[in-house]
Amino acid sequence: MSSFGFGLITAAVLAIATVGFTMQFAVTNVLNLAYGSIMINSAFVAYYVNQHGVTAWVALLGGVATGAIASWLLNRFIYTPFQRRNLAPITVVIVSLGVDLVGTFGLQAIVGGGYVSFNQSQGHEYHILGMLLSGLQLVIFGICAVVLVGIHWLLKYTRLGKAMRATSANRNLARNSGVKTQFIISTTWIISGALCGLAGTVFAMNAGVFEATSAQLYIVLLLAAMFLGGPGEPYGAMFGAVTIGLATEVSAAYINPEYKDVVAFLVLIAMLTFRPFGIFGSEKTN
Amino acid sequence: MSVELSKKGLVLTATGLAAGYDGRAIVSGITVEATPGKVVSIVGPNGSGKSTLLKSLVGVVKVLDGSVKVGDTDITNMAPEDVAKIGVGYVPQIDDVFPPLSVKENLEIGGYLLKRHEVNERIEAVLEFFPKLKAMMTRKAGKLSGGERKMLAMGRVLMLSPSVLVLDEPTANLAPIVATQLLEEYIRGFANFGSTVLLVEQRAKAALRISDWTYVLGGGRVVLEGPPQDLAQNPIFVESFLGGGAKAHPPKD
Amino acid sequence: MGPYGFYIAIILVYAAVDSMACLGLNLQFGVAGISNFGYIIFQSVGAYTAAVLSMPNAKTTNGGFQQYVLGWHLPWPFPWIGAAIAGGLLAIPFVFIVGKRLRGDFAAVGLLVSAVLLNLLVKNYVPFLNGDAGISLVPSPFQHYWNPQSLGYQFAYGGVAIVLTIGVYFLVKRVTESPYGRSLRAMRDNDIVADSLGKDLRMQRTSVLILGGAIAGLSGAILVGFITLWAPGAWGYAETIVLFAAIIIGGAGNHKGAILGAVLVPVGFEEITRYLPPLGNPELVPALEWVSIGLLIVLFLWFRPNGILPEKRRILSGNKNAAPPEPTKGDAESDALIKIGNVQELNFHELLHLSEPVNDNRVILSTNGLTKSFNGVTVVSDVSIAIHQGRLTGMIGPNGAGKSTTLAMLAGTLPSSGGQIFYEGTDITSMPSHKRAQAGIVRTFQLASEFKKLTVLENLVSAIPHQSGDTFLGSLRGKRYWGRQDHDHIERAKEVLEGFGLSQYADVYAGGLSGGQRRLVEIMRALLAEPKILLLDEPMAGVHPNLAHKIGDQLTNLCEGGMTIVMVEHELAIMDAFCDPVIVLAEGQVLAQGTMAELRQKEEVVEAYLVG
Repeated sequence: MSSFGFGLITAAVLAIATVGFTMQFAVTNVLNLAYGSIMINSAFVAYYVNQHGVTAWVALLGGVATGAIASWLLNRFIYTPFQRRNLAPITVVIVSLGVDLVGTFGLQAIVGGGYVSFNQSQGHEYHILGMLLSGLQLVIFGICAVVLVGIHWLLKYTRLGKAMRATSANRNLARNSGVKTQFIISTTWIISGALCGLAGTVFAMNAGVFEATSAQLYIVLLLAAMFLGGPGEPYGAMFGAVTIGLATEVSAAYINPEYKDVVAFLVLIAMLTFRPFGIFGSEKTN
Repeated sequence: MSVELSKKGLVLTATGLAAGYDGRAIVSGITVEATPGKVVSIVGPNGSGKSTLLKSLVGVVKVLDGSVKVGDTDITNMAPEDVAKIGVGYVPQIDDVFPPLSVKENLEIGGYLLKRHEVNERIEAVLEFFPKLKAMMTRKAGKLSGGERKMLAMGRVLMLSPSVLVLDEPTANLAPIVATQLLEEYIRGFANFGSTVLLVEQRAKAALRISDWTYVLGGGRVVLEGPPQDLAQNPIFVESFLGGGAKAHPPKD
Repeated sequence: MGPYGFYIAIILVYAAVDSMACLGLNLQFGVAGISNFGYIIFQSVGAYTAAVLSMPNAKTTNGGFQQYVLGWHLPWPFPWIGAAIAGGLLAIPFVFIVGKRLRGDFAAVGLLVSAVLLNLLVKNYVPFLNGDAGISLVPSPFQHYWNPQSLGYQFAYGGVAIVLTIGVYFLVKRVTESPYGRSLRAMRDNDIVADSLGKDLRMQRTSVLILGGAIAGLSGAILVGFITLWAPGAWGYAETIVLFAAIIIGGAGNHKGAILGAVLVPVGFEEITRYLPPLGNPELVPALEWVSIGLLIVLFLWFRPNGILPEKRRILSGNKNAAPPEPTKGDAESDALIKIGNVQELNFHELLHLSEPVNDNRVILSTNGLTKSFNGVTVVSDVSIAIHQGRLTGMIGPNGAGKSTTLAMLAGTLPSSGGQIFYEGTDITSMPSHKRAQAGIVRTFQLASEFKKLTVLENLVSAIPHQSGDTFLGSLRGKRYWGRQDHDHIERAKEVLEGFGLSQYADVYAGGLSGGQRRLVEIMRALLAEPKILLLDEPMAGVHPNLAHKIGDQLTNLCEGGMTIVMVEHELAIMDAFCDPVIVLAEGQVLAQGTMAELRQKEEVVEAYLVG
């Protein structure tokens, strides 16, 4: 059962990250493989704020802001200009890999290679339904749950959220309806970037110790969760993240924990091979 | 009809218009005018440039020459979202709804430029015009039938009480009976309310039946125009669709 | 030489290994358009294979301090040969990812993830290849006869590596410059169209994955024999990005560019800076290298997307000195300026190798209840038609009537949802489209479908069937094997081009032509595919009316000569002049059939067009 508890935390963090990732894909058709590097950069900004005597939970806001600003800049000044040239999608993916290198190793050049950790306590240990969870984990879980509910509320019940979904479904028609899609796309990148920053920071808190390249392979979990639920589908992303998060942690209890991510890889490869539009998605027609 | 469906119509004029993709004109030398309370239709064979013309009026395709005006406002090459703001409602031929959004959400996006409290009022008004949609407000637009989908697409543009309605082949892929109802009941209805309706139609004769004035497009230019009763009997009209020697059947009623 | 001798030898080996790897990747990415983000695992499997083939049994060596499989202790060159074979074999499972019709970026992600997965498995399952610690003490070739630490040995090793790399260069060049290479580049530019011309995409992708994999495997073997150790840290997914960076910077599709890129990026950055004195924190120098590589990728893709040495335009016409014509203007007038050639005088029968006219008017292609639906919406419903041999059959109908969809199902571009298609009495409903093309059913497309980065002449020649150099093995046999035939093919294509009045564009990239010119290229290309049945989807759109009529005359002649043509067209004047019979589709169903004159008298047809 304790692995189930870990799985819940992993799944919650992954869900936040995947929702942001899939929203970016939904509105701009970019597989932003630099996502992991923005996560870890955000975590480090939060860490430095924390080092200056600010409590970790307030420092978290620094991470969120970093993610939002960096993502917006990335889309505005790199992805959008490339996309205006009508290149094959693969070109933008290669660009995102280049950006990932710059982001990850630029950070490493600045902070060095050592492991760091937040200045915060793990809190009490709690036994809940047979799961052993630390206070820190419970708070992380709580934040993630609140944010996911918030995203749900945003997408389903607000004018902005509906405009975001409309823009991703049919950009031209949204413009014909009076939606300033350029603004909506920027806003989407800011919100998804905030999710990225949040996910990166709580991921680092949950991990305990972290360094500049800690999130380098996180992108694979993101991709697995996204493709499981269907690319560009925020609710699919939540479903995919919960499935992948639980599956990796629970399987870790039964097989060598070093292999826990293998589940995610296998899911991703199976999805790409057999149902690239996700479990719930439908095949797009031209 | 108890509620006001649209604002008072405005005159839409295009003068000496040339438009197309990548700097290449698909249509050129086009002068058309649509006036309040009237249905003005544009017909012509496949590939004659009808859709391109409409798209250029609403800012989707680039205008290369000439100008477009709504009332006193020059809207030549204005961004589509601003064209919508000025009161031109455009329903494209395909991709005319947001499939993953519910019917209600589609209407809400249609009313995106309205004030928050106006949206629900406006939805009520639109539903009164398309009562069929009432029963399917929570259904996803992608799951609607062709006819329901088209009603939603028109309902979406009516949300902003447009002064000018620009409709691109609204009856494409609809069963004939639904098409006839759509044209005669709804589209004619818009004009009777005082809206300006500019309609591109594949079903030329059906379009003639509800039009006050018709332009015939061929090879990217206006080849014929006039009141529909004159056109229907004009051999050039039938020929422009089926080529020389086509038999003009008398219109059925 | 002094103390720098060893350093230079090491650089030579690395330059050779990286160049070799880049050549293999360039064949896949630059020539065939496969974004193999997992390329590094092919090099790695080669390194591991060479290591365990050359090493003695793990349990009895050095007290069994490392674990690994095999341990066959084979003498050189068997470990290297084994490495190349292993690299090639590893390619086979990946065909399932890239062989499918998957968005290019999705397939790339699948390969990337596969690479990460394999790395993870090797890292954590120690008994297989000694896990994270990696394999060390890999024997160098001939180490008992010649001290690997000696300068002479190291230079000799570098020499062998360079000779092999030169060999690989000529190998990939041989494939690339052959008719098969032309087909690979056609697939890169537009795979659906290449498929419709009879190119077997899965076979083509498999062949370059295997060849590129084998090359990568050999490069790994050379490297491991020199550095004598190999561990999971050496082949993280970022290493693949380095190779991609090399190719993008050097020039994708240009093999000299690949070598230049290899020398500049992996060698330049990784190997030379390795000997810089440490400054700042220990991670600083390597971290800055990665940052530079990332920046270079982004900057090159923006400022110089074709690299330092862009892919060369192939001048097939033999007219190397001719200045290319002025780029065509992008306005409607330019089409009217096309010089209309002697298309009427062309003897297509001879040019296109048409068989003797057999014009027996039999049913050659027919459908029975053919149906297509997308996500529950039926666009073609229960269409049963019979196409007669030697006739020019027209297909008309309002927008959305299902004409193009029907045509696509006949050609196999779209699978049908129901019903059957028969060709010469055989059920071909489930036959893949390239097989149908090979059997003589060739289609054209409504949207621009030229191979953009092939010249006009290459576009035409690529369609000619039965080219002896258009197989993987044929391409390996070299120009002596296929050159004479290819020369004849080029001459034939030039004559057709002349007939259509486009000779001056022979060596221009097809992507730079005007819309009308591209239509003509497409029609010429389809004719050169030697079809028995030609399916034309709005071929005259954007073509000058005078020329359209000349082409129509030629199509009629072709039919008299035994070809069967089905043409979707909205220009009814064309239908009038050339097509008999004409099939009218409306709302996915067959409405009527007959000559245009007959159809015009039919009320339901007039209604479909005018009323609906």
